[in-house]
Amino acid sequence: MSWLRISLAAIAVTAALPVCAQTVTITTAGGDYGNAVKTAMWGPAAKELGYDVREETQSDGLAALKMQVTSGAVSTDIIHLGSPEGAQAAAQSLLEPLDYKIIDPKSVPDGAKSDYCYPFDSYGTVMSWSTKTYGQNPPKTWAEFWDVAKFPGRRALRANAQDLIEIALLSDGVAPADVYPTLSTPEGLARAIKRLEAIKPNVSVWWTSGAQSAQLLKDGEADLVVTWNGRAQTVKADGGAVDYTFKGSVIGTDCLGVPKGAPNKEAAMKLIAAMTQPARVAKLTDFIAYGPVNPAGYEGGLIPKDRLKTLATAPENAGTSVFSNADWWVKNGEAAQKAFDEMMNR
Amino acid sequence: MTVLADPALAADARRERRFFLSLSLPALFIVGLAAILPILWIIRQSFLTTGGDYTVGNYEKVLSSGLTWAALVTTVELSFGTLAFCILLGTPLALALASVRPRVANLLMAFVMLPLWTSILVRTYGWLVLLRREGLINTALTGSGLTAEPLPLVYNFTGTLIGMVHYMLPLFLLPVYAAMRDIDANLVRASASMGATLAQTIRTVILPLSTGGIFSGSLIVFIYTIGFFITPAVLGGGKVNPLSIRIERTLSTFQDWGSASVLGILLLVLMALIGMMFLVARRLMARNKFGTAHA
Repeated sequence: MSWLRISLAAIAVTAALPVCAQTVTITTAGGDYGNAVKTAMWGPAAKELGYDVREETQSDGLAALKMQVTSGAVSTDIIHLGSPEGAQAAAQSLLEPLDYKIIDPKSVPDGAKSDYCYPFDSYGTVMSWSTKTYGQNPPKTWAEFWDVAKFPGRRALRANAQDLIEIALLSDGVAPADVYPTLSTPEGLARAIKRLEAIKPNVSVWWTSGAQSAQLLKDGEADLVVTWNGRAQTVKADGGAVDYTFKGSVIGTDCLGVPKGAPNKEAAMKLIAAMTQPARVAKLTDFIAYGPVNPAGYEGGLIPKDRLKTLATAPENAGTSVFSNADWWVKNGEAAQKAFDEMMNR
Repeated sequence: MTVLADPALAADARRERRFFLSLSLPALFIVGLAAILPILWIIRQSFLTTGGDYTVGNYEKVLSSGLTWAALVTTVELSFGTLAFCILLGTPLALALASVRPRVANLLMAFVMLPLWTSILVRTYGWLVLLRREGLINTALTGSGLTAEPLPLVYNFTGTLIGMVHYMLPLFLLPVYAAMRDIDANLVRASASMGATLAQTIRTVILPLSTGGIFSGSLIVFIYTIGFFITPAVLGGGKVNPLSIRIERTLSTFQDWGSASVLGILLLVLMALIGMMFLVARRLMARNKFGTAHA
C-alpha cells in the first residue's frame, strides 16, 4: 500500500507548489528578441522577486490581446507590444492603467510617457544594403534609395504602412520635423502613397516579419532592405555582407502592458518595474541592438561605448531621425493602411 | 425482405440501427462543437460593430471594397491553377502507379506520400532554398550559362503555385490512384484484344472509369487550396494576396473582426458554390455516360 501513500504525497506536493510561488505569464515576440528579453530582463527579475514566470510567444501581440480580452479568457499578465499597438490597445480599453506607484514614473522621458503601456526599448526602422552589391558606395539618403537609375537593385519593404509612409515623405524632401504635420493633411498622405507606388516595381519582396527581412538580407535576395536596426545588426554581426545607417531612421519604442482583467495584476506591475531597471534594459543591448528608453540606462557605463553607435537612440545618431508618433497612428492608422493596401493592389 | 417481415426481427433491426446511430453521437458532438458553433459565432460577429452593436455595415464595407474582389480573384486563380497542374501531373502518375506490379506500386506510393508526412512549413521553406535568387536552381541556371540573370521563381505567383501544387499533388493522387487500381484488368485486356491502341484504351476505358476519382481529387484540391495561407504568405512575397491573407491582415492590422468575419463567410460561400458546381457537373457527366451507353 505504500505506493499509494507515496503517489498521494506526490500529488499533494505538486498541487501545493503553485501556491508557494507567485505565477506570472508574459507574452513576448519570441525568436532572438524574445530570448534577449528573457535573458536580460524578466529572467533575473523573476529570480529576484521569487516569481514563477511562464512565457508565451505571439508574433502578433495586439490581435492576441484583443482575442483574450474580448473572449474574457485572459491568460497573460504582461504583454510585449509595439508602442503604436500599445496606444491602439489603450484606446480600445484592452489594457489596465499602469501603476506608477509601483513603477518609477521618472524612468520614462516625457515625450515617450504612456499611461497604459510602459516603453522600455527603442529601435530604428533603417535603410540596410548588401555590401556585395554596393561596396563602399551605397545610397546615403532615402532620396537615393528611391533613385533606381543611380542605384539599381532589388528592394524589400515591409508590407505595412507603418514607418514606410514617414520614410516615403523623407525621400520626397520633407524635413523630419514636418513629417507628421504633412501626413495629417489628406494631400500629405496621398503624396506618401504616390511615392511608394513609384518604387513598387522595384520591390521584389514585401516582407511581413522581422525575421524574414533578416533572411532576405542574409540570402542576398534583396539588395536594399528597409528593416529594423536590430535585425540588420544581427545579420552584420553574423558576418553577412550587410551594412545599415541610422540616417533618416524612424524611431519607435516597444512597451509592456497589462491586459484588462489579467489574473495577477499587481505581480505583473512589480515584474514590469523590476525587469526594466536601468541595468537590465542596458543588458538587453548585449543581445539585441535595441537601446533603453530610460535615460538612466545610458549612464554609468552600463552600455559599452563602442556599442552606443549601434543604438537608434544613442546621442550621436539623433538629428536626422523621426520619432514614430503613436497618437498619429491611433487616429489615422486605419486610413493610412487602407490607402497602402489599395496602392499594393493597383 | 421476407425475413424482415417477421416483427421480432424487424424490431431487432431497428434496435441495431439505433445503436449504430448512437455510436455516431460523439463524432456529431465534436463536429457540432468544433465546426458549427464557431461558424455561428462568426456569422454573429459579422453583424457586429467594434462596439458590439448590430449592423450590416461590415458587409457594405467588405463587399464594396476593390481589395476584397481582387483577393477573391487571386484565390480562384490559385485554386484553379493548382487544380490544372494536379490533373496534368497527377493523372499520368496515377496511371503509371496503377499499371505497375503492386509491390513496385507500394514502394513508389511511399515516395509520393513521404512529403505528406513533412510539415508544410518545412516544405515551403524548402522551396525557398531551391527557388530564391541565389538558390540551387538559379545558381545552376546562371552557372551553366543557360540564363544570364536569375529567374524570378519565387516571391510571386509562380513560386506560390509551385509550392501549392507540390503540397496538393499527393492528396489529389490518392483517390485517382484508388479509382484506377479498381478498374477491372479484363476491361483493359478486352479493349486491347479488340485492337485498341494504348491511347485509345486510356481515352475510352481508363479515363471514363476513373472520373469519379478525378472528381474527388479535384474537390479535395479545392477544399484545401481555397483557404491556403502559409504558402502564399511565405512564397508570395507580399504580392500574392488571396482571401486568407486578406483575412489575416484585416485581423492583425485593422483589428476589424466584423470585416474579417464577413471575409470568412465569403470564403465559405465560395467553397459551397464550387462544391455545388462539382456535384452538378458530376451528375451531368454520369447521366451522359448512361445516355451514350443506352443509345
